[in-house]
Amino acid sequence: MTRLAGRGFGRYLKAIPAAMFMLVIHWSDGGCSAAPAAPAAERNEYTNVILVSLDILRPDHLGAYGYPKETSPQIDRLAKQSVLFENAIAHSYLTPVAHMSVITGQYPRNHGMVSFEVSKNQVSQRTLPEILKLYGYQTAAVVSSPEFFMRYDTESGKIVNPKDIFSHAFDYYGRTVPDATGSVRVNPTAALDWLKANKDRKFFLWIETGMLHPPYSQTVPMPYKTQFDPPGYTPFYEQFPIRLGRENADRGVPTEVLFHVYRGNYYLDFQPIHKLTEKDVSFINGRYDAGVYYTDTFIGDLLNTLDALKLSGKTLVIFHSIHGESLGEHGYFFHHDVFDTEVKTALTMRFPDNSQAGKRISRQVQGIDILPTILDYLQIPINHESQGASLMPLIKGDEAGFKGSEYAFIDRLPWWEYVLGGWHLEHQSEREAQYTPLEIAKMKDYRNLLNKTILGEYPPECIAVRTNKWKLILREKSNLLENISWWNFISGKKFPVDSIELFDLDKDPMEQKNVAKDHPKVVEQLKAKLLEWDASIKKNMTTPAVKGQPLIIPYP
Amino acid sequence: MTQHNEHDAISSKEMDRREFLRRTALATGAIAATMSIPGLMTGIANAAEAKLPLKYKDYNVVFVSFDALQAAHVGSLGYSRNVTPTIDAMAKKGFNFTNTISVASWTVPASMTWFTGVYPSEHRLTNKFAIFNPPSNNVLSNLKKLSPELVTLAEVLKQNGYATGGFTGNAGVSGFFGYDQGFDQYFFEKGKFGSMGVSIPKALDWLKENKNKKFFMFLHGYDCHGQNIPEGGFDYRFVDKGYDKKYTGSAKEQEALREEGLEKGSVAVRDEDVKFWRAIYDEKIQRTDARFKKFLEEYEKMGLLDKTIFVLTSDHGTEFFEHKHMDHGFSLYDELIHVPLVITLPKQKSGKIITDQISSIDVMPTILDLLDVKMPEKAKNQLRGASLVPAMKGKSVAKEVYSETDYRQYTYKRSVITKDGWKFIYTLENKNRELYNLKKDPKELKNVVDQEPRIAYELEQKLFAHFKSIGHDLSAKQWIPGLNPVYDSQAKGAVKK
Repeated sequence: MTRLAGRGFGRYLKAIPAAMFMLVIHWSDGGCSAAPAAPAAERNEYTNVILVSLDILRPDHLGAYGYPKETSPQIDRLAKQSVLFENAIAHSYLTPVAHMSVITGQYPRNHGMVSFEVSKNQVSQRTLPEILKLYGYQTAAVVSSPEFFMRYDTESGKIVNPKDIFSHAFDYYGRTVPDATGSVRVNPTAALDWLKANKDRKFFLWIETGMLHPPYSQTVPMPYKTQFDPPGYTPFYEQFPIRLGRENADRGVPTEVLFHVYRGNYYLDFQPIHKLTEKDVSFINGRYDAGVYYTDTFIGDLLNTLDALKLSGKTLVIFHSIHGESLGEHGYFFHHDVFDTEVKTALTMRFPDNSQAGKRISRQVQGIDILPTILDYLQIPINHESQGASLMPLIKGDEAGFKGSEYAFIDRLPWWEYVLGGWHLEHQSEREAQYTPLEIAKMKDYRNLLNKTILGEYPPECIAVRTNKWKLILREKSNLLENISWWNFISGKKFPVDSIELFDLDKDPMEQKNVAKDHPKVVEQLKAKLLEWDASIKKNMTTPAVKGQPLIIPYP
Repeated sequence: MTQHNEHDAISSKEMDRREFLRRTALATGAIAATMSIPGLMTGIANAAEAKLPLKYKDYNVVFVSFDALQAAHVGSLGYSRNVTPTIDAMAKKGFNFTNTISVASWTVPASMTWFTGVYPSEHRLTNKFAIFNPPSNNVLSNLKKLSPELVTLAEVLKQNGYATGGFTGNAGVSGFFGYDQGFDQYFFEKGKFGSMGVSIPKALDWLKENKNKKFFMFLHGYDCHGQNIPEGGFDYRFVDKGYDKKYTGSAKEQEALREEGLEKGSVAVRDEDVKFWRAIYDEKIQRTDARFKKFLEEYEKMGLLDKTIFVLTSDHGTEFFEHKHMDHGFSLYDELIHVPLVITLPKQKSGKIITDQISSIDVMPTILDLLDVKMPEKAKNQLRGASLVPAMKGKSVAKEVYSETDYRQYTYKRSVITKDGWKFIYTLENKNRELYNLKKDPKELKNVVDQEPRIAYELEQKLFAHFKSIGHDLSAKQWIPGLNPVYDSQAKGAVKK
């Protein structure tokens, strides 16, 4: 069908060369100014595209972004051949939400992928692979994170109605094979096989890995798994087992442990039972870094494969993280908020001719800018629904020509507590997490609290705006957040939640000190911007339609 | 090749108008005599025409709008029933622009584009942007309030010493909307879809007083419109004798059918009913044409013919079940936006058929060009269209054309038609997309958006880029039917009187 369309369009163009000229210059901001007499072949006629997406990757744990540990020699090699964006921002902390923004160029409320339990029809179908397919691309994906294989359950509990959302418009949608631990969060090596088999086709390949996701280092093989462990260290949680049912194997830093650590204390039965030492924190970070290192070896394999197949010179390689991870900076380990730890991402673009290699761009850019950039580079008209802007002017050094906003808007969408209530608590038993009778009893109360407060409908107004210098976070319902906070629940305390936070990212990149009171004018100005954006897209907000149907994520 | 066979199978009588027009264009070169439809064989340029000056400083202009005249019902555009002999005669001796697409499918937005040279989104006489101003009578806002910076055709001509008079059937071209802006005298009978039966006498009265000045006249009537019934009733001249008279042709019936279509998505009518309504429509058109003929006779008696440029056109067409609806405004199919456009020049003896696709937005620049009148300095960049005078000189002026409709509480649509016959329609409130290959499917019956996804994608981008370029980013707004009506009777919560 696509080929027919292509031919049909070819005829259409040949009939009116003047119109074709119009198409090129009129439809694409960064369009070429080819001579109408003999227009050069458009880049989309011969350029492949590879999008490498790493879930949970913090840019500041990569050498290319200044990390002192040797975690990423191969990614650093790629970065040297690429343009690197030092301040790239994701639109959510949650994988499917943030990534849908990348492949549609839209804010979450616009593309509709606002939580796990949306249905296919609620989500924008005009994704990057769909558009590239129109231009004759073979579209393939090898994907690891279970978030990208969501299925919906029915009352019977059986999967009878698969509704993949992210597989839309892919000719091939492959998933990784679970390793011995049972996790699919492994290196997507099948992507290399696909490349070898399809090297002569014009393709778009999306390679995704969720290896970095907690449990940190779960799928990293020895000896890489323990390479950054402090010497002679025994994990603190092994003295206080909360997962009695498990065999005694090293499956990485357990998620349940991370969920019981807050502000330097390890909690059990709502009591602090262990104060984390520097070594404990270094161990957790080391296990995260082990994941980065092992992922990096895959990136090396990918780059070598591209070279060996002679594809490097005709392939645009976009490397990015879907979102980051808090590693204790805000008291917790995990991702569930709009802090830079979670929303600042790595982003590099390697062009087929290595043009601009080594360039570093400090101006803030956003997830929604990636789709317009790819289309602009390929000389494909940019979908009007995209809310970002092509980065090509920035890349070429034309700062004034960049039409993107200096403001990045970030939604805490959905509230993580909403995800917890609808999914995490539901599936604790499946993951063999066993709590004490007291925790189990109180967990029921907590779940009831979530049910009563936020599971019926989405709570609004947990939003942020970020510039190169400032981050403003608005939490209109800060009292509610305080009451339903998991961390406050697990610690049995009432740590306060601020309704307005302002951080000076120059002086305080880890957002430790709320300076809202010192800069009322900045707060006022950013708040106005944020609320204006909020109001402008509010009506498009999609609320999840599937209610009361438990969600099953295969291969947890 | 298959395309040709398909076309050959169509008899000239049933031939679709676009195909008819294509053939006509070919025929004008050499084989015109083989055409069987009257009034078209002589569309051959001759030496005399080449000598037309195409500059008519201080000549008069008579601009006539036959409201709701569907292109397919005009003889000089291929209709087989002889209902427009006067218009056809004018087309024969003038420039017959056979592929003219209106910027909108109903009166208010479409007509203001003639007089401002900008798209409806820009002059803002659309229900989306109009401001509801109770308790003003029936009308919500006007050009001065909505787009105070715009200069009208009548204003420009008035500044250049023209006497300006408008004589209309009110309703959509009511002075309350600001249609009177720039006119010395603007007649609109309150509360009516008035006919030329009323507007022509007023026009002639005005002419008697102003015939010695240079003047610009706008003449308009709803004679062909569904809401107008001939004085004295129908004589049913074209209705089949055997028709069971389920309908009588009344304005009420017509309105009920329109509302039924809007409510249910289609109207339940039989083939014979459609035939009946077309017969009624033909009677109206023929009566209108006859009225206009009388106007021309009076006009000639005043000795003005050789001093006058005539522009004959319609603001939009109307639908008789082509897409399961009746009336107009709610869609952008060709039966609603393909309109006649005839321009005759003083002393022009032989005409020319111009098949290039053009837009009603080109009319104002053409008139100013012919009259050799310039826009005031402040308004120089206002005009979005282009003069059609180059077409009169034989140059190609074919272009992509854009149309739009924001119709009542019902729908918001935008369309683009490429020069080579692809038409893309986008419905803003539900993002519905339609793509038609007019060359193969001139009746717009087969949406090929799934068969030609790339063309659809590119035309969608083109459409949105166009509206963004004129300052209306369609992606930036909410499009929910019922937000801003034009008439207060259509306002949310309005009580029916």
